This record gives sequence, C-alpha cells and structure tokens, in this order.
Amino acid sequence: MHPDISSLVDTRNGTLDPRIFVDEEIYKLELKNVFARSWLFLAHDSQLAKPGEYITTFMGEDPVIVARQKDGSVAAFMNQCRHRGMRLCRADLGKTKNFSCTYHGWTYDLGGRLVNVPSEDDAYRNGIDKAEWGAIKVTQLATYKGFIFGNWDPTAPPLTEYLGDFTWYFDAFVDRCEGGLEVIGGSHKWVFPANWKFAAEQFCSDMYHVPISHASAALALAPDDMEADAEIFPLDGTLGRQFTSPWGHGTGFFTESGDVLGLIVGREPGEWFQGGNPEVVDRLGTHRALNMRGMHATIFPNFSFLPGINTMRVWHPKGPNEMEVWAWTVVDSSAPPEVRERLRIGNLRTFSAGGMLEQDDGENWSEIQQVLRGHVARQTPLNAQMGLGLDWDDDPNFPGRVNRVYCETAARGFYGRWAQMLSGASWDELAVTPPLESVRQS
Amino acid sequence: MTSQLEVPLAMAEMLLQHEIEKFVNLEALLIDDRRFEEWLDLFSDDVHYWMPTRTVRYEREIHREHSRPDEAAHFDENKRGLEERVARIRSGMAWAEDPPSRTRHLFTNVMVEAGGEPDEYQVRNNFLLYRGRLQREVDIFVGVREDVVRRSPEAEHGWLIARRTVTLDQSVLLAKNLSIFF
Ligand code: FES
Ligand SMILES: [Fe+2]
Repeated sequence: MHPDISSLVDTRNGTLDPRIFVDEEIYKLELKNVFARSWLFLAHDSQLAKPGEYITTFMGEDPVIVARQKDGSVAAFMNQCRHRGMRLCRADLGKTKNFSCTYHGWTYDLGGRLVNVPSEDDAYRNGIDKAEWGAIKVTQLATYKGFIFGNWDPTAPPLTEYLGDFTWYFDAFVDRCEGGLEVIGGSHKWVFPANWKFAAEQFCSDMYHVPISHASAALALAPDDMEADAEIFPLDGTLGRQFTSPWGHGTGFFTESGDVLGLIVGREPGEWFQGGNPEVVDRLGTHRALNMRGMHATIFPNFSFLPGINTMRVWHPKGPNEMEVWAWTVVDSSAPPEVRERLRIGNLRTFSAGGMLEQDDGENWSEIQQVLRGHVARQTPLNAQMGLGLDWDDDPNFPGRVNRVYCETAARGFYGRWAQMLSGASWDELAVTPPLESVRQS
Repeated sequence: MTSQLEVPLAMAEMLLQHEIEKFVNLEALLIDDRRFEEWLDLFSDDVHYWMPTRTVRYEREIHREHSRPDEAAHFDENKRGLEERVARIRSGMAWAEDPPSRTRHLFTNVMVEAGGEPDEYQVRNNFLLYRGRLQREVDIFVGVREDVVRRSPEAEHGWLIARRTVTLDQSVLLAKNLSIFF
C-alpha cells in the first residue's frame, strides 16, 4: 500500500514527503507513470555518426538499443529478444550489421525487425510470422537539434510541445553555433547509492548548495591570480534567475557574475562560451549569449546539463535507493581544439566520479538516503519553501515563470509535475493543469 | 649452470628490482598514512597521471575498450592537477573526504623493464585498493599501474615517477567517487 499520491508533494506549502525517495511501491509506479510516459534522452546524433553504429542505454529500467540506420535515420527498440527475452546486445556501443540473440539465434536488423529464425522451416514448420515478432519499438522517437529522445507513450504530446517554454533556455546550450554540439568520446559512468530525484532536482533548481557543498573545490581550482569570491560567484540572488516550466523542467543562472566558468573549467572555455562571440550573440541575442552564466538545468525527468561547463548526464534509476550516472562532455563543433581540450580536462576534474565538485554532491545524496532508512525520518516532511509565492512571469529579459536564482520554485515545479504524472493524470489533464498555483499578481 | 659473467648481471637486476619495490612500497605507505604532500614529491614536475575509462565492447572491437588520450578519463593530471586535489582534501571543506577515507594499497606483481631513456624504467604492478569510509562504506578497486620511473639522485628517495597509467578492472564504477589516489 502506498500513501495517497496527492499528499506526497505539497507545492502550495512547499513540503515533500520523504517516502517519494525510498518507497518501493512508489518506485514501481514511477517507472510506469513517469518514466514510461516522459520524453527521455537517448543519445546525441554525434554518438551515432555512421550507419550501423549503435549504443545501448536505458529508459527507466528498460534496456534499449539506439542505432543509426543505413538511410541515416535513427531507430530505437527494446534490447530484448522476443523469443525468451534474452538481452540482445551486451556491449555499451559498437558497429554492426544486425543484432543476433546469443540464446537461440533469432536475428534482428538495425531497425529491430526480426529477419532470421534458425531452423525456421524445420522447427517452426514455417509457422512463425516474423513481422509480428520484431523487437519492441520505442513508441515515439524525435530529435531536437541533435538530441535524440524517446517516449513509450503513444498519447504523449510531441517532443517540441513537451520541451515547451523551456526550449528558449535549452537553445542557449544547444543552438549557439552553426553545426551545434558534439559529444567528446568516452563517458563517465558510476553509481550513487541515492534516489535519482535528488540529482535531477539539484540540477533543476539548486544554486543554493554551491557555496557550501563546493567550497573546497572553489578554493583548490582557483588560478593563482583569481580569488573564488562573491564577485566571481554572486551570493546576491537578485543577480540571477531561476525558471520553472509547467512541464517540470527547470534552470537557474547568474545574469551578472565574474568568470565563474573560468574558475571551474578554465579561461579558454569561459571566454569561448560567454566572451561575446558575434555568431552566438547573433543567434541567441545578448541576454542568452552574455547574461546566463554558470547555468544548471534539468529536462524532466532525468536529463541534466551545465551549459558552459558542458557536462550533460542522465540519472538512470536503479531502484529507489540507487542511481547510475552517465555523463558526457559536449563541445560546440566549431570550438577550437584548445577549448575542446580544456573542457575535457575541466570536466573530469569537476563533474565526474573523480571530479572535485561532484564528489561532494554524492556525499550529500547518499547520506540523505541512509538517513531515510529510519521510521521517524520517513515521517518528517522536507522543506522546499525557498521563494514560495514570490515568482513572477513578466520579466523583461527572461520569459516564463521566474524567481531569484537562490530559490526552489523549479524544485516545486519538478516535484509537482512528478506527482501529477505519478497519479496517472492524462496528458489532456496535464496540459491544462500546471503543477504550481498561478503567479500572484502584485 | 650460470656463467661467471651472468652472475653480476643477475645481481644487478635483483638490486634494481629490490630498489624499485622499496619505492613502490614507500608510495603505498605515504598515501595510506595520508602524507599527501610527501607523496606529491614522488612525482616529477613533468608527470602525466592518467586513468582512462573503459567501455563494454565485443571481442571484435575490444581494441577500443579503453578511452583514447583525447577522450573521457577518470584522471588526466599534470603535477598542478595533483596538487589541486591534495589542496582540496586539506581545505577542511572537502566533504567527500572529511571524514577521510581509510585506504590500504596492496601492490604486487612488480615487473621492471628498461625504459626509453637511460635512467628510466617501466614499472608495472597490480593493485588492490581497499577503501573504508564513514561507519560502513566499503569500496574495492583492482587494476594495474604502468609507470615510468626515473632515477633522480637529487630526489629524496632517489626516484621520481614521470608517468602513470592506471587501468581499473571496472566499467561502470561501483563506487560513489574516486576521491582517493591510485
Ligand atoms: S531468447 Fe533469443 S533466440 Fe531464444
Ligand atoms: Fe553540486
């Protein structure tokens, strides 16, 4: 028996029921009503450059194969043989002509169609309809500026509608230059013994933790001639914005700051990202090109990134008490080699298993999870009230519903949408019922 | 029977092996006792300290298992990078290392070969690194280190590590971080 869903997340009073992070029943429901209905990031175009190249990933806990087809299109289907359910492909990535099951040999082409069944005539007396028994296709597949997303729900709105008012903010990351982004080869994959929502929410909504959680990294990373102080990293929340989308996406950034990117990943990427590159200013306009600094973001539910630092990652759920992080470094394809190299090094030093910032995030998330083993801890609501009732939606420079950068409106939006989806609300209902009460008009 | 000429050669080889094994053991001691500043002194100023990532590949593509030098890595450090990591741990605010990890480095299978330069040797050793932390966190890392060590009479211990490549025998890391040294 799981508790009444509508009481788990109280966006009106800004409280969270801690059972959303630990309860097995809620987790099962989350796989069904959140992960099997949301648009989930699968791969970036540059990871599947040539026909036959594939990667394997997960949608929720369901394994999928994403493969480049001979005609240049992309297909995504369950990484599971339809005969007895064996995993079709056990590699992380590679290049192939087809996927042949290692149990009895059923063979599927790059698009997941069943093309060969051993002893079809003798064993099946030709009585099997191969067209019926292809791998299960990801129901909806769409690409936005090189980012490939999949969705299991045939009734889900198109990806562009789902990205909604977050698109303007997403473009500040993905649409800076002709040619877009590309992924630097290799990935960081590791495990946090904590619920995936802690990480997704933090990238969605939490600039507040940075000065405390990451104090040591700021000290260690600062170049000799740089002081990691409030000029680099403002402590005044009016010097930044946080944004929440009714679809649960969120972001936060400084509108004015020192060279915060220079501090974290190095001066060359900082200069490249917000040094006023005319092409970027031309494509994005001044505010997005120059006044969104040190940005964090999550596309609901589990795809997060840090524009400028240029890490992007998926928080794969592995039960209520564990997540697996898959992180990549991306770079504008037109960036010069030294920017690319500094980003690669800068990311492994900051946002990876060995990264000096992410280590401290992991400490927070895993310790929360341990505390939540307790009975009393599970009855004690958590506070998500920062900036409650103080959002505005008429900012001259930043569209949509915003607040100061130190705020939890994006967390309330994230958990609010999560609870709505968990309850099984239809897409029609979701379209007309934003997770947060309307902005109070002053 | 060993010829009379070969005896001194074999002796020299044993002495070298002995010297290098002592150096390897000293390093384990310095890390496990958290004498990180002294540990840093074991590295040359031009050191490259690298731990590539590993992906799961089929046999026919196994040559692409390890990330390339221009791809993702767990560590890709010069001396300054190593110093920054030590400075972070010493800051008193490195929460993932405060309270600190309890590490124990077990080095074995030490193999020494002549290096590219006259004073350099290629030293390869397997390791098992146990890490306990807080009340009940445990991680075990197993892998191989391939070093280039340089005979350096002016260095305190007579040797400097000029290059290190660490290969971990895990793909998805089952630890929540790599906040320790290999
Ligand atoms: S399970 Fe795949 S062929 Fe039998
Ligand atoms: Fe963080």
